[in-house]
Amino acid sequence: MTTDRDPQGNSRLNRLFQYTLTVEDGLLVIMLSTMIVVASVQILLRNVWGTGLGWADPLLRILVLWVALLGAMVATRENNHITIDILSRYLPRRGKQLSQLITNLFTSIVCGILAFHSARFVIQDYAAEVSAFYAIPAWLFELIIPIGFAVICLRFALHFIAVLRGQLA
Amino acid sequence: MILTGIILIILTLLGAPLFSIIAAAALLGFYRSGIDLSAVPIEFYRLAEMPILLAIPLFTFAGYLLSESQAASRLVRLTQALLGWIPGGLAIVALLASAFFTALTGATGVTIVALGALLFPALTQAGYRENFSLGLVTTSGSLGLLFAPSVPLILYAVIAQQLGIGKPVSVDDMFLAGILPGLLMLSLLSIWVFWVNRSQPLKVSSLSEAGSAIWKARWEIPLPFIVLGGIYSGYFAVSEAAAVTALYVLIVEVGIYREVPLKQLPRVMREAMVLVGAILIILGLSLASTNYLIDAEVPTKLFALIKSHVSDKLTFLILLNIFLLILGTMLDIFSALVIMVPLLLPIAIGYQIDPVHLGIIFLANMQIGYFTPPVGMNLFIASYRFKKPVMQLYRATLPFFFILLLTVLIITYWPALSLSLPGR
Repeated sequence: MTTDRDPQGNSRLNRLFQYTLTVEDGLLVIMLSTMIVVASVQILLRNVWGTGLGWADPLLRILVLWVALLGAMVATRENNHITIDILSRYLPRRGKQLSQLITNLFTSIVCGILAFHSARFVIQDYAAEVSAFYAIPAWLFELIIPIGFAVICLRFALHFIAVLRGQLA
Repeated sequence: MILTGIILIILTLLGAPLFSIIAAAALLGFYRSGIDLSAVPIEFYRLAEMPILLAIPLFTFAGYLLSESQAASRLVRLTQALLGWIPGGLAIVALLASAFFTALTGATGVTIVALGALLFPALTQAGYRENFSLGLVTTSGSLGLLFAPSVPLILYAVIAQQLGIGKPVSVDDMFLAGILPGLLMLSLLSIWVFWVNRSQPLKVSSLSEAGSAIWKARWEIPLPFIVLGGIYSGYFAVSEAAAVTALYVLIVEVGIYREVPLKQLPRVMREAMVLVGAILIILGLSLASTNYLIDAEVPTKLFALIKSHVSDKLTFLILLNIFLLILGTMLDIFSALVIMVPLLLPIAIGYQIDPVHLGIIFLANMQIGYFTPPVGMNLFIASYRFKKPVMQLYRATLPFFFILLLTVLIITYWPALSLSLPGR
């Protein structure tokens, strides 16, 4: 029941949508690659030359946060989140659809609230000019939290609509 | 309070993603205590403040890459060439290879799908009974959780550190603590396998076969030494070992064996990071819910409640085992850790149980939970993979279940087994 593309959608909008999906996937790959390279270089520098890159450790920690949210965004696309569906597995088809409607709507609302309060958190840090490291403003790094939850919120709303349509059809 | 709890549980059972349930609990909790809800994202941001978490994406990626390559078949061939001469040798091969593979890839069913697919036909061809082979392969799917660098061991240490109560728990402590209990499981299973198949005809492996198998796997043989040697010697920090492992596996599987084409690499990376995202979003939100639980003194109240009914440590441990066994059939290991450890750890400390020991008890129980009837996840994976009815798998895994249950009891009531190596 995933809705990666909307069959009735406008094709240009559709293309834009596909494009954002590619960007998400691409970012995940780039970030993991960066993690591997930077962490390895850091070990090499530390053990062979006894030095290290000052920015490497904070960067790696930020990357973990970004990978967490981007990965969760992609997981939402494919309905790949960790669930305990011991009950819904045994429900009849109608019941299954109903439970999907309820859980998708619930998750969408929760993520909407999370996105809203994350945005407030980022704006507060922006206004207070909090910096993360090397005077780089912290809000830049935190930005993925509201974006991530907002995208997850939208995707669950789309799942909800897709199930609703399927049920009406 | 109780009503919302019931609603959340029903939503969970209906299949709402676990992270949303944890988030809702945290949001509701903070809201009721009059705390600004931006506390949730502030706690979530702490994902970026724990250097150890870097190990999770890196080890997960290395595991995914290994399971995409032919590493599993080389591993089986190698162990078979080296151990095939023992009666029941192939079955012991299955145990060792699976434990090693699961430690690296996590018990996500990958072991059954990747290794089991090789081992099951090999076992039945070699004349082992079908049910014995099925049970063995299914059981092996979660064997190895207690060995470094399994992600659940790392995750337990992270969660215990966040709680900040009792004696501090480091990832290295957990890696050391898991060794003897893990070996106990392996040896009891091996003894049983040896005994059952003592009349099994021997498969004499030639010296040249052994040489050839070693030669084929020559690039992968250093891997356990890099991971385990690096960590246990203290030469590498855990996240450093993870980086070296990821880089090494990448070079070997993509560059040298060329079994994962460069074009496929982005897909494998993406798949691994989807799992990492699904785990870390739960962890991040549980930082918030745990913070609320501690603020509201829930663990303390829970302890007082249990203490009024259960006075001694022994009874508590028995109840804990039963509880975890049931829990393990319903929850996958990551959710179980994130949800239950913040509640259980303070109680266990109240009964003078070392946090490291609790972690090992917890994971050992979860490991059996994977194939405890009626709903253990690996039973279904194996049933699907080998096209056998689930009922047959219940029967097939039963003897293995009792052996591992015995080891879990030994692990639980003999703390020194877990605690002597980390020196606690």
